[in-house]
Amino acid sequence: MKYTQWIIFGLVIGAIWTLGFLFETNLNPYVVRVIVNCGIAMILAMSLNLVNGCAGQFSLGHAGFMGVGAYLSAAITTLLPVAFPQLSFLREPLGIGIAVVVGGFGAGIAGYLVGLPSLRLRGDYLAIVTLGFGEIIRIIFLNVDAVGGPRGLPGIPRESTFFWVYFWAFVTFLFLYRLMKSTYGRAILSIRENEIAAESMGIKVSHYKVVAFVISSFFAGIAGALFAHYQGFIDPATFNFNRSVDVVIMVVLGGMGSLSGALIGGIIVSLLPELLRMILFTMGGLPDTYRMVIFPLILIVLMLVRPVGLLGHKEIWDFFPSFKKKKGVKAHG
Amino acid sequence: MAEFTFEAAGLGISFGGLKAVSGFGLKIHPEGLCGLIGPNGAGKTTVFNLMTGVYKPDQGTMTLGGQSLIGFAPYEIAKAGIARTFQNIRLMGDLSVLDNVLLSYHFREPYRYIDAILHTSRFQKNEAELKDRAVELLELMGLANRKDDQAKNLSYGNQRRLEIARALALRPKLLLLDEPAAGLNSKEKVDLMHTVSDIRDRFKVAILLIEHDMKLVMGICERITVLDHGEIIAEGTAKEIQENPKVIEAYLGVE
Ligand SMILES: Nc1ncnc2c1ncn2[C@@H]1O[C@H](COP(=O)(O)OP(=O)(O)O)[C@@H](O)[C@H]1O
Ligand SMILES: [Mg+2]
Repeated sequence: MKYTQWIIFGLVIGAIWTLGFLFETNLNPYVVRVIVNCGIAMILAMSLNLVNGCAGQFSLGHAGFMGVGAYLSAAITTLLPVAFPQLSFLREPLGIGIAVVVGGFGAGIAGYLVGLPSLRLRGDYLAIVTLGFGEIIRIIFLNVDAVGGPRGLPGIPRESTFFWVYFWAFVTFLFLYRLMKSTYGRAILSIRENEIAAESMGIKVSHYKVVAFVISSFFAGIAGALFAHYQGFIDPATFNFNRSVDVVIMVVLGGMGSLSGALIGGIIVSLLPELLRMILFTMGGLPDTYRMVIFPLILIVLMLVRPVGLLGHKEIWDFFPSFKKKKGVKAHG
Repeated sequence: MAEFTFEAAGLGISFGGLKAVSGFGLKIHPEGLCGLIGPNGAGKTTVFNLMTGVYKPDQGTMTLGGQSLIGFAPYEIAKAGIARTFQNIRLMGDLSVLDNVLLSYHFREPYRYIDAILHTSRFQKNEAELKDRAVELLELMGLANRKDDQAKNLSYGNQRRLEIARALALRPKLLLLDEPAAGLNSKEKVDLMHTVSDIRDRFKVAILLIEHDMKLVMGICERITVLDHGEIIAEGTAKEIQENPKVIEAYLGVE
């Protein structure tokens, strides 16, 4: 059982590598870019889903934590080697891998510092406070000259590839899936379901709110770090309120608390604007601004037709009972 | 066995100047089965909320096995050994029936995060063990065949049973049941009262039962406390209570 698990991981990672190789050699760079952005969006959506969907706490500051991961990792790979030439290995793939993880931990720490005081609040109040913290984080970047201030931070080694983004998307998925299928996941879900009952069943609700927030921020930081090393350039405006809203839309669209829903939401919110851009272009070059009208309209209609999001609280495999049964048999055997 | 005697004395709380409960005292011996009765709005649920840390008492003391419970948060009370059900059912509606029970094993930390993420043998073994235990409990409450359904899809009576099952999963020393028979028909009510006294014998747990319907508690409770306007007006055996003129006036009189 233990070994088969690692073999399966190896196969999945091999498949991601092969796909990446095929895509990057055969598809045009624009398409690859869209696919990679999808992967980053998926990590963001899955991580926010833990707080907004599973724990039922409305956070609106996800871009801030993404920014912490992006800036911290970029500072490590871009600024440190300049200051200390002996650290030039940080521009190599291994160094960048380390920087991405450090970015995640930095964002996790930021999540702890923000979450500890603000998670006492509920609903709209929490949304406003996390929004505020997200903006504060952005304004800090704006005012720290070492990371370029408003000019941003250029020259970041562009080493995130399809492989690394989807490797991390896989890790994020597996981590969150297994977390939610464990006693810790049940504790986090119980907060959303009924705080008073959860407390009375021995769950320290305030603790698990912070746990969910920290894990969520960690993966947002990873996504930010991957993003920075994909773009090669970041500036404070990249991590503004709009991006936080985008991630919330992904989660709500996919279905609050649904991990596979977050994946679908991430794909839709990344792809739809690109599709609209193409459609507008083929329709005789209608102005790109129409996109900004049509996209929200589609979302509004979707939410009116299906207010619980595409998958609701369910996972995509719950809609295919036969597959689930097969999985169940395998788990027992 | 006197270890896990529950004792409260002088418990009181006011809401905005209005005394909801005052001078409340109670002693429950291990494996005792006591009743708390009184007309609607007498303060029964408020007593439960005081006992489980949902409300902090303005004055009074409260101990379980000699350990003071004053200032404990609800989750600490649960850990200390007092479990409860809610008058207005509070299940995890979107979670499965099984998960509702499994949640109660959480505070004993069956495994660590790393076990859950890496699916170590400790995770596999302990998770399977918890599931077996939970299914056993559900079988006892007649819910095993519904274990994969969402809790919110259970019938009202089954939801009440699930609330009892998950409270028992905490393996409490004292179980507080807040009107478990409310909303049931008269046959279900009698069945439930049997279940309650079975639970006491099987789980060796003390039980404090709130019930609006006086006749029901009379049958199974050893001692009964009668509450009216937040104050105890009588305490004693079923027979003593039935004959107490104050009770007849305050409680039976209004029926
Ligand atoms: N949180 C609260 N805030 C204000 N008043 C409350 C609160 N909880 C209970 N009360 C009041 O305390 C009294 C007793 O209520 P309760 O304990 O629910 O009665 P019972 O369970 O005996 O029917 C009621 O008058 C109720 O309005
Ligand atoms: Mg009540």
